[in-house]
Amino acid sequence: MRNIFTLVGKEITLEWRNKYALSGVFIYVISTIFICYNAFRQMIDPQAWNALFWIILLFAAVNAVAKSFMQETRGLQLFYYSFLDPQQVILARIVYNSVLMTVISLASFGFYTVFLGNLVADVPMFLLGLLLGSTGFAAVLTLVSAIASRAGNSASLMAVLSFPILLPLLITVIRFSRNAMEGFSWSVNNPHLLVLLSLNALVIALAYLLFPYIWKA
Amino acid sequence: MKKFQLILALCMTCLPAFAQQGVDMADTMRSEGKIYVVVGVMAIVFTVVLVYLVLLDRKIGRLERKIRNRAGT
Amino acid sequence: MMRYVWKIAAALLVYYSLVAGLTGEVPRMAILNETIRNIYFHVPMWFTMMALFLVSLIYSLKYLSGSSPDHDLVAAEAARVAMVFGIAGLLTGMLWARFTWGAWWVNDTKLNGSAATMLVYAAYFILRNSVPEKQKRARLSAVYAIFSFSLMIVFIMVLPRLTDSLHPGNGGNPAFGSYDLDSRMRAVFYPAVAGWILVGLWILQIRIRTRKLENTVSI
Repeated sequence: MRNIFTLVGKEITLEWRNKYALSGVFIYVISTIFICYNAFRQMIDPQAWNALFWIILLFAAVNAVAKSFMQETRGLQLFYYSFLDPQQVILARIVYNSVLMTVISLASFGFYTVFLGNLVADVPMFLLGLLLGSTGFAAVLTLVSAIASRAGNSASLMAVLSFPILLPLLITVIRFSRNAMEGFSWSVNNPHLLVLLSLNALVIALAYLLFPYIWKA
Repeated sequence: MKKFQLILALCMTCLPAFAQQGVDMADTMRSEGKIYVVVGVMAIVFTVVLVYLVLLDRKIGRLERKIRNRAGT
Repeated sequence: MMRYVWKIAAALLVYYSLVAGLTGEVPRMAILNETIRNIYFHVPMWFTMMALFLVSLIYSLKYLSGSSPDHDLVAAEAARVAMVFGIAGLLTGMLWARFTWGAWWVNDTKLNGSAATMLVYAAYFILRNSVPEKQKRARLSAVYAIFSFSLMIVFIMVLPRLTDSLHPGNGGNPAFGSYDLDSRMRAVFYPAVAGWILVGLWILQIRIRTRKLENTVSI
């Protein structure tokens, strides 16, 4: 457990040291939102508002997490391989990427409301959806980026591998946040919440169990 | 043989009593017996596919035996 | 004997479903009319696809526990044959949807789930092709198959229950109930599914044997 937090801390310091990657993702999000603002001017339809927001987040997530395993140098990999437990590595990566994705999605939500207006009726519920969506995206993409990096590092491979398996998560989270936008009560949204929670649990459990096999490859 | 009898029996039980009213079905076609033409065509198509599968299967079996013999000697 | 008995059974079951499926009596339902018979021919394609993907999944798990190249071969070939049946299911489904629901593609969770499953396996083959080294390819693709198939099960089995679907048995009741798949239809439908699954396994067996022949020859 302690090791995991040390690893998470190490990831954060590394990220902080070369800020260009992080700021790259932020600039990506801001400029996409700005483009959408210019293209749409005023968003009246809540459904389109919601769908566009999640699509922006999806691409931002792929960009942000893709580098998770690809940036590593050969030496660093060897170091990890000989001193660390793979299951600690994957958990630390998932925790770190979830935090990163949560920060990115909160920031995007902020920019989005500034440019395209806030159409959300129930903000706490929407933020919960944001949190669960970010962790789910982060967990799926962390494992996929591990696979893609072992398979020869192409960024397009990452998109091809991850988009179809992100679909269930994306559909549920879009529905959940649409209900939050309409201001429906929790009882309406509970089944979606349950599916989101179980999807997160499933993805993290699978990543935890399967990662050692990728590690060896 | 028993299998054929079973199939025949099953087909027989399916045949009678179409003439219920209400929703349009292809009752005329059935009463003229033309439906068996469709059955026949589909059966032939499936037979051709099956024959092809069997031929492939046997060809691969021959090749397998050939290679096993070569490895044996 | 047993080597080909199941192949004869496959042929007989499909023949039976052809004859009984076209001539047998079916419930009279508005809009569907005679197309209700498509249940005997369209749905078995999906069942066969799922059965073959399940075979692929089992062999992926086996590969991870034992690292035998044969298991990897079976996993890849089963996924390949499953894709063929999936394409058949997709095309027949689209045609049927055009004439009962009014469009080639309707926004339906079950439809989207099956399409996404096929996308996942298309990605699976891209992954396989992009790794030249055999052992690594087998390991990575097994991990990807297990990971994605579990998510697809959520997609196909759980999500449709949450919303209304045009397909029968969704939006609450998980069975064929609303289609009135009565005992006469069941007597044709289940043999049809069994027959087509056996045909799928037969094709799979042929493919595996050819691949093994290829391997022995290339050594």
